[in-house]
Amino acid sequence: MLTSRVAAALPRLLPCTRPYHKQALTNTIVKKKRSQLFTQEAQRQAALITDVEKIEVQYDGQPKNCTLIMNKGMSTPYNCAQHINQMIMERSVLAEVDGQVWDMHRPLEDSCTLRFLHFRQSDPYYANKAFWRSASVMLGALLESSFKDNLYVELCSYPSPNVRSGSFVYDVDIKIPEWEPTKEELRTLSGEMVKLSLAAHRFERLEVDASVALKMFADNRFKTQQIPQMAAQSTSGNTVVVYRIGDFVEVSRGPMMADTSHLGKVSIVAVHPIESNEVQLFRVQGVALPRGFLLNHFAYGVLEKRAQQMNSGRLPLNISSTKPQTQASTL
Amino acid sequence: MALSRLKCITHAMKNLSLLSHPDLRAPVCMNQVRAMSRVKRRHTVPPFWLPKTTRAMYPEHMTPENEIFLKDVIEEKYSSPLKADCWERGTWVKNSMRCGLIGRKIGIYPMWTKDGTRLLTTLLQVSDNQVIKYIKPEDMVQDKRKRYRELGALVVGADPIDPRIITKEYYSVFSEAGVMPKKKMSKFLITPNAKLAPGTPLYASHFQPGHYVDIAGITIDRGFQGVMKRWGFKGMPASHGVTKSHRRGGNIGSGGDKARVLLGTKMPGNMGRERRILRGLKVWRVNTQHNVIWVHGPAVPGGVGSYVYIYDSILPDHRHTQENHPPFPTFFQDEEEIEEELYDKELHTFREPSVQFAEK
Repeated sequence: MLTSRVAAALPRLLPCTRPYHKQALTNTIVKKKRSQLFTQEAQRQAALITDVEKIEVQYDGQPKNCTLIMNKGMSTPYNCAQHINQMIMERSVLAEVDGQVWDMHRPLEDSCTLRFLHFRQSDPYYANKAFWRSASVMLGALLESSFKDNLYVELCSYPSPNVRSGSFVYDVDIKIPEWEPTKEELRTLSGEMVKLSLAAHRFERLEVDASVALKMFADNRFKTQQIPQMAAQSTSGNTVVVYRIGDFVEVSRGPMMADTSHLGKVSIVAVHPIESNEVQLFRVQGVALPRGFLLNHFAYGVLEKRAQQMNSGRLPLNISSTKPQTQASTL
Repeated sequence: MALSRLKCITHAMKNLSLLSHPDLRAPVCMNQVRAMSRVKRRHTVPPFWLPKTTRAMYPEHMTPENEIFLKDVIEEKYSSPLKADCWERGTWVKNSMRCGLIGRKIGIYPMWTKDGTRLLTTLLQVSDNQVIKYIKPEDMVQDKRKRYRELGALVVGADPIDPRIITKEYYSVFSEAGVMPKKKMSKFLITPNAKLAPGTPLYASHFQPGHYVDIAGITIDRGFQGVMKRWGFKGMPASHGVTKSHRRGGNIGSGGDKARVLLGTKMPGNMGRERRILRGLKVWRVNTQHNVIWVHGPAVPGGVGSYVYIYDSILPDHRHTQENHPPFPTFFQDEEEIEEELYDKELHTFREPSVQFAEK
């Protein structure tokens, strides 16, 4: 046991010595914690694969059908595309593995048939849905990092993607009673979305146990309620899927697009207040086009105008009015 | 005098006006002014503050259904069944100025008066004119003189353009008025009692037969011309020993004390493509269905198809009085009945009988 004088003489090794649970609750700290947990879990899961087994992936499509020998549990459809063609690699939004829609950066489990989905095919239904879903998640990433530190923003959820509704949304709890953003504020948010897109973050996918997910999202009272429900609906019964873009982690079910650079023109157009079980939430709405889709300002204005209308997607229900936390939860 | 005119011109250019006020520009008769040669008469490039009209087109690969949908959206947006915003309408008082119109020269046609005199008239079509904006006197960049301090302006637009092919900046000019974007715009100085709400349509019936107008336009571009065509020099004889100087300018200076070529010496150069105003043209006939105005003479500046700007005449002989002023602030054709063809009372109309025989 060091005497206090000796302890004082020793150089301080870390800038912040307070343990996590004693720090004030801010989005920055929470995001960092989640990202760290994600990295740890990803490393743990990667370490589980000791032997590299080979699988045969049958590719059907342009430029020609081929069979690829890939690594089981490690190779992703993106890796397959890298072997095939640069154009396929850049334009593919989703993969179709044995008829099932698959993330581009999700490891392949077994020998399978592989196809790639993109926005310009004749029926890009799944690609569009993934795009809309990913846009919602990116909006969530944006909302978590855009507010001042004294406001602890809790992301609630987003409804199932419906492109025909005219906008992608995210419901968020900002803990202020009213928020009517000015045109400049909306423009700033749109700019941040564009920055996210330019950063070209990958949608890193991880299937984790519900307990790990709960640890990650312990500071979000909405997610702590949603995760058990999502885990119950999963095939295994107790796992949920988490995605990470940059340093933002989100729990979600469906497939996401390959990376954020697939987002082209984007505008955050409206914020509608919604009441849900005594909780004041805000539904932030936006509209976007995939990268490479050119559209004149008038037609895009028509889309923006449509997106401003209150989105008809399902409102978050059954949110108990637990008191919002003021201190970060224990690890 | 020349310098003051120069100042007026530069002030008008600073005035952020698309076209300056008639009073500040060329007078009725053209005197040679030496200092004018230092002022640029033609500009190959539009002023920096003017927004670009059309944008760079790129392939959008829009489905046919979407194209049809957008056309419907445009139609619906710019064809509201509601009446345009109704502002209080001013009444005419002495020295009132009302806005003009933007027309297109569509041709020249002869007309005959009742005593058989033949005269040529120019047809000007006023196509889809609408008020875009009203600028209050306080918001105008003002001439310090009292008369101009009190004047506001109306920006009038003519001829619609597809909103998809124009730039966003240009489109924003019209979004406040809720008006279909226009190809051509002009600013008309007005007294505040002549103001009109944005979106108000203006028709040819704004001018009525018997009234006089001033017409401003860009003259036909004749390119680089010699002194005979450009300045009306007589040239030199074709023979009798004249060497190589049949169409040339001859002497260009007097020498002596002024040992230089004086500024403004008439020489060959670019002729035409200049803004000129023709004053005091009588309106002979107006067709209210096709919005055509017949004005006196064949000499309206510009070629057929070019835009002209039609103002109420400022000539003292044709000043308006309480008894003979035109419809003020404009003729609201949507609300009032008017005949299709309006003729000046001195004009012979071929539809009416010219010779009548009395029954014995």
